[in-house]
Amino acid sequence: MLATAEAGGWEAPGVSDFWQPLIGDGAWAITRPMFVMAISVVVIGAVLLALTKKLSIVPANKKQFATEALYGVVRNGVARDIIGSREFLKFVPLLFTMFVLIVVNNLVGTLPPVMFPTMSRFAFPVALTLIVFVLYHALGVKRKGAVGYIKSMVPPGIPIALLPIVFLLELFTYFISRPLTLAVRLFANMFAGHMLILVVYLGGEYLILHGDGLLPVAGVVSFLGGVGFSFFELLIQVLQAYIFTLLTAVYIAGSLADEH
Amino acid sequence: MPESSTPPDPANDPSSDEKRPQDSLGVNIFAYLLSGVILFGGIGWLLDRWLGTSFIVGFGVIGGTALSLYLVWVRYGSAR
Repeated sequence: MLATAEAGGWEAPGVSDFWQPLIGDGAWAITRPMFVMAISVVVIGAVLLALTKKLSIVPANKKQFATEALYGVVRNGVARDIIGSREFLKFVPLLFTMFVLIVVNNLVGTLPPVMFPTMSRFAFPVALTLIVFVLYHALGVKRKGAVGYIKSMVPPGIPIALLPIVFLLELFTYFISRPLTLAVRLFANMFAGHMLILVVYLGGEYLILHGDGLLPVAGVVSFLGGVGFSFFELLIQVLQAYIFTLLTAVYIAGSLADEH
Repeated sequence: MPESSTPPDPANDPSSDEKRPQDSLGVNIFAYLLSGVILFGGIGWLLDRWLGTSFIVGFGVIGGTALSLYLVWVRYGSAR
């Protein structure tokens, strides 16, 4: 990036900045986000195990209290409220794992030393979405039977003339729109946020180092704005992890619901 | 987020049985609108390519949006 900038004029950061192979190249390269994801899994596992080692019924230390507060948000605030008190418990492990994994991988997009959001590579949200996709369809089929599940997609009270196209629309929504929006929402937020921060910081750097006259002052302003954006990004990153988890619960609840 | 001091047994806590479907309302409606536009716009576009015309895609997009709005109204608009 710097080299091209010095060679001739400002070159804005682009999609190519998100392709960062570490080992190998091409389709089978081990990339930086893959590495980050693998490390994050190990770190999350180790930290959560360490934090919940000496448990007491009344939290005796702050670490256990903080962990339980986070767990409580997912368990009560998402799983129980959305799925309902009867069957939410068996989905809490999945939802909590998903939330923690996404929130950590999002936050490292802003925080050093990584400063690259894993989910800005589309395959990661797609993989997570596939889990959700398979799960909510499997639950629906298991609960209502294959025919019953398909039938339950169409709400009652539709005129017979409209049934075929409404059915087509529902099918498209269940099988394409929902997983697509779920994956794209997370990916696009992380991608766009990181791109914005790249532009603000790299642009500021270029203005300070290469700007004429008063332009370095503008570079400083850009840098300060970047700090603001970074804090804003932290908020978005937590929010998107929460939304992904929430929607997972919503889709599970929809598959379990008896009737619409 | 505050933890309740004595977590009630979820199995016999009536208050926790109130689900929150409205949380996902916007997202679900957006998914339906997107479905209508893409699905019927896509069908229209394919018909256009097949028949060598150029107007069916417009009908598809508008008709699909209308159908989506109708479905959203049926699903979420009527009081139940």
